[in-house]
Amino acid sequence: MTMQPPLLEVRGLAKRFATRVGEEAPRWVIRDLDFSVAEGEFLTIVGPSGSGKTTLLNMIAQVDTATEGSLLFRAQPAPVTNPKALNPGLSCQIGYVTQEDNLLPWRTALDNVLFPLMVQGRLNAESRARAAMLMEAVGLKGFESHYPHELSGGMCKRVSLIRTLVYDPPVILMDEPFGALDAQTRVQLQTDLLRLWNLGRKTIVFVTHDIAEAIALADRTLVLCRAPAKIIGNHIIDIPRPRDVDGLLANPRFVALYQAIRSQVQ
Amino acid sequence: MTVLDAPADAGFPGRAALRRHGVLIGRLALAALLVAGWHVLAGAIGPLYVAAPLAVVERIAADLGSGELIRHSYVTLRLSAIGFAIGCAAGVVLPFVLRRMPRLTAAIEPYILASVGIPKYALMPLFILWAGIDDAPKLLLVGVLVFYVVFIAVFAGIRSVDRKLVTMARVLGASEMAISRHVVWKSLTPFFLAALKIALPRAVSATIIGEFLVGNAGLGYYIENARQMVDIAGVFAGIVVSIIIVLAINALLTLLDRRVNAWRPVDRDMRL
Repeated sequence: MTMQPPLLEVRGLAKRFATRVGEEAPRWVIRDLDFSVAEGEFLTIVGPSGSGKTTLLNMIAQVDTATEGSLLFRAQPAPVTNPKALNPGLSCQIGYVTQEDNLLPWRTALDNVLFPLMVQGRLNAESRARAAMLMEAVGLKGFESHYPHELSGGMCKRVSLIRTLVYDPPVILMDEPFGALDAQTRVQLQTDLLRLWNLGRKTIVFVTHDIAEAIALADRTLVLCRAPAKIIGNHIIDIPRPRDVDGLLANPRFVALYQAIRSQVQ
Repeated sequence: MTVLDAPADAGFPGRAALRRHGVLIGRLALAALLVAGWHVLAGAIGPLYVAAPLAVVERIAADLGSGELIRHSYVTLRLSAIGFAIGCAAGVVLPFVLRRMPRLTAAIEPYILASVGIPKYALMPLFILWAGIDDAPKLLLVGVLVFYVVFIAVFAGIRSVDRKLVTMARVLGASEMAISRHVVWKSLTPFFLAALKIALPRAVSATIIGEFLVGNAGLGYYIENARQMVDIAGVFAGIVVSIIIVLAINALLTLLDRRVNAWRPVDRDMRL
């Protein structure tokens, strides 16, 4: 790897929730967290449920404050500890695909995808064509005028995914976006995501509790321990791309990585 | 029950249609029964207290022909509309302003909620004292009534907005203005329309009450004037026209509701 500065750098990040009645010490969810993401890297973070994965992404996306630590984007510090200065999405530079699809129920699928373009004042023939291309790429052609409640859970996920891809933020955070789906839809969406990623090679930070998913998608996988979360493993995923998500299970390299990560995740 | 009913309906589609028409037939029969009851009651009690349906229809036809009822209806509708517009605008704008000032909201909220309890009609003599006997006191009454209904609904609607959608919109680059318009306003539209269904008929009622008290035109004046002349058919004619106006407004609102809330999976059949 070249020695260019990382695109995104997390330094000493920590989060403490207010003490509840009956608790002696404040509860640290995350403590002393350091990692960085290179431009174009697909980073996955695995950790058990309740290891503060969502909290971590909320802090990076600037929708939640950190108690301590700093966040650097392109070597510029982002105001992550000051609740007044928080800048959700860091001026459209950090995209965030949340666990729930969070679609606007009164907008059709296409209008949901066009929403960020509209509010950013970037709605034009070119961006509309891009939206249509993405809709087609994830198999939503023909569902443009459907409302979210008329779509399946997997389709809603696709809409929420391309709603972020459509405005092309330099970094995209993903919080178990495929968590609530059945196994087949999941593999299909993972394949879609890899295909879309191959087109643009975005920088992605993808959080999951599913080790197989973490390996299948990533260039590199970090392992978090239970709260207070820290990084206890850093694995380079050297399985050549393009990968066949379904066929990976039989790959010996996959099996070795899976066992190495499994032993760290508790 | 449902399990047994469903296949029976599926097997005989005519039965489901009959059931639907059955409701309609029932409704018409009930209406006929009510009018017949009215007729009998008018005969029993006498025209000094209850005007007969036919006499009322004749009176409406006559006063529509002379333009008298149209003039009074116009006066009432105009006042209702202006008062409604003022109250409604204030009732929508104020909660949106307060949304950006949570501390101020927390400070004044108990006062706002307490002031809901003030019986607004009781203020009418004060409005007359302060604003004279022209349109102004009636506009004040209508405006205040509408304001409270709309304000409470929009205020509660803003509270109920899914915070996750607001956060998401922010991440996607929406300004506070865009969030107000495209997220908050859209998600409270059902609340707002429900408020309109209460506020619009109330605006007409308040105007009529105001016209009982001050002024020399409008349906309220028409009704009260007829009463003073012991013209009972006139009183009933005024009341019937008022009812028709309110029902027409409600029908328009239902149409609007269907258009605006077409995206909603539920509530589409709810009418008031």
